[in-house]
Amino acid sequence: MNAPLKHTADATTVEEGLAIAEAQDKQYTSEMATETAMANTLLTPRFYTTDFDELDAIDVSSVREDWDVLIAQMEADPNKGHFKKNEDWDHVDWENMEPELKKEFIDFLISSCTAEFSGCVLYKEMKRRGNNKDITQLFQLMARDEARHAGFINDALREAGLRVNLGFLTQKKKYTYFRPKFIYYATYLSEKIGYARYITIFRHLEAHPEHRFHPIFKWFEEWCNDEFSHGEAFALLMKTDPKLTSGINVYWIKFFLTAVYATMYVRDHQRPAFHKALGVDPDWYAHEVFTKTSKMTEQIYPITLDIEHPRWQRNLEKLQKANVDMVDAKGLKKLGAQIRAGWAFVNLYTIPAKKHAVPASVRLEPAY
Amino acid sequence: MGLLTREVEHAPCTVEISHKFESLHAHVRFNNGAVIYPGDEVQVEGPEIMAPFGEVVSEDRQATIIRASKLEQLWTRLTGDFEVMELCEFSFSEEVTL
Repeated sequence: MNAPLKHTADATTVEEGLAIAEAQDKQYTSEMATETAMANTLLTPRFYTTDFDELDAIDVSSVREDWDVLIAQMEADPNKGHFKKNEDWDHVDWENMEPELKKEFIDFLISSCTAEFSGCVLYKEMKRRGNNKDITQLFQLMARDEARHAGFINDALREAGLRVNLGFLTQKKKYTYFRPKFIYYATYLSEKIGYARYITIFRHLEAHPEHRFHPIFKWFEEWCNDEFSHGEAFALLMKTDPKLTSGINVYWIKFFLTAVYATMYVRDHQRPAFHKALGVDPDWYAHEVFTKTSKMTEQIYPITLDIEHPRWQRNLEKLQKANVDMVDAKGLKKLGAQIRAGWAFVNLYTIPAKKHAVPASVRLEPAY
Repeated sequence: MGLLTREVEHAPCTVEISHKFESLHAHVRFNNGAVIYPGDEVQVEGPEIMAPFGEVVSEDRQATIIRASKLEQLWTRLTGDFEVMELCEFSFSEEVTL
């Protein structure tokens, strides 16, 4: 890693970037042979099955017009040329990066890469097992995007001297099962909140470029537009069956909203160096992201969480504290922390939700 | 499939790994049409596979499928949903401290 090789960040074309990366690869391989310490990052995606007959039974004819427009847009692939390194990919000073920040940033890259990779595995599986052309086409397109994002993050990891290891492929893996509707609720929210998270950071760094400590953030704008379209697709899928967003399912929707928001809050607060370097207060950030996500989810969900309620912030903080306490504590103290975390979650879940009428047409365009 | 017994099956499969800048992905496809059900375990036999950077490799291998018993399958269907939050991405791992 210390030989005078050109850095991929110095490449001005993709080809050059690839050539440099290949040269680095050769160097790394020989380094590994001489047992130079080389961090190896094992990707650990999970494997799922679902009710594929139920997926095949989806009929998008009630949303056909919007569906076709969205699929055509995804097929046209406006982001195809986006995930390339150009002169905007400036040099990253990994050597001098503050150690805490480096640890947290690498955690960010690995977690994001694993998430994109797992999304790709899941979508590809749905594409392969399905027989409904609309559905298989959608999942194929989404798998493409996720693989592309994973490749892009992988490259940033390589620059940091980290190699992904796909050893999981030859390890024994157990397939778990999710009901299709839970996949919709979870992935819809995940894509929309992902959009809100990326765009909020992107806009913040546009205003404060001095905090942009890595060039990957410059790619967040188009990146999050992929997340946005995936969310749109799930919104349309849910629209095909009104039962998914009414009756008892509204309680499930509320559960997913609460769980996703709360998890995000807790995880972000566990990465103070990352947020400090970006010049972002995690409480402000959470509030921004929740506000944007709530606004977007009104397209399909009949409720939004009341994040201005006095119990909201108070219990998020309690949940976060209980979560930290759980790690070091043992025995009764641990149990106590678990009970406090559970109670904080119940307190968040039982805040009365805001109800509203859902528009007849689902489709939204990225607006932030 | 027995209520409590697991059966072991072998299936030829193709593993495809893309380790390219444009796409990082890996998939296993069964070539005899074998279908995986909830609770089944799959292991691709042989040494670890990894494509060099910038390449796609495709290898034919043998996979062992350990079929879940009827009871396990039912259990996985009933309880799998509890883990559904895994599908959400939050940018960071769940570790409290790194």
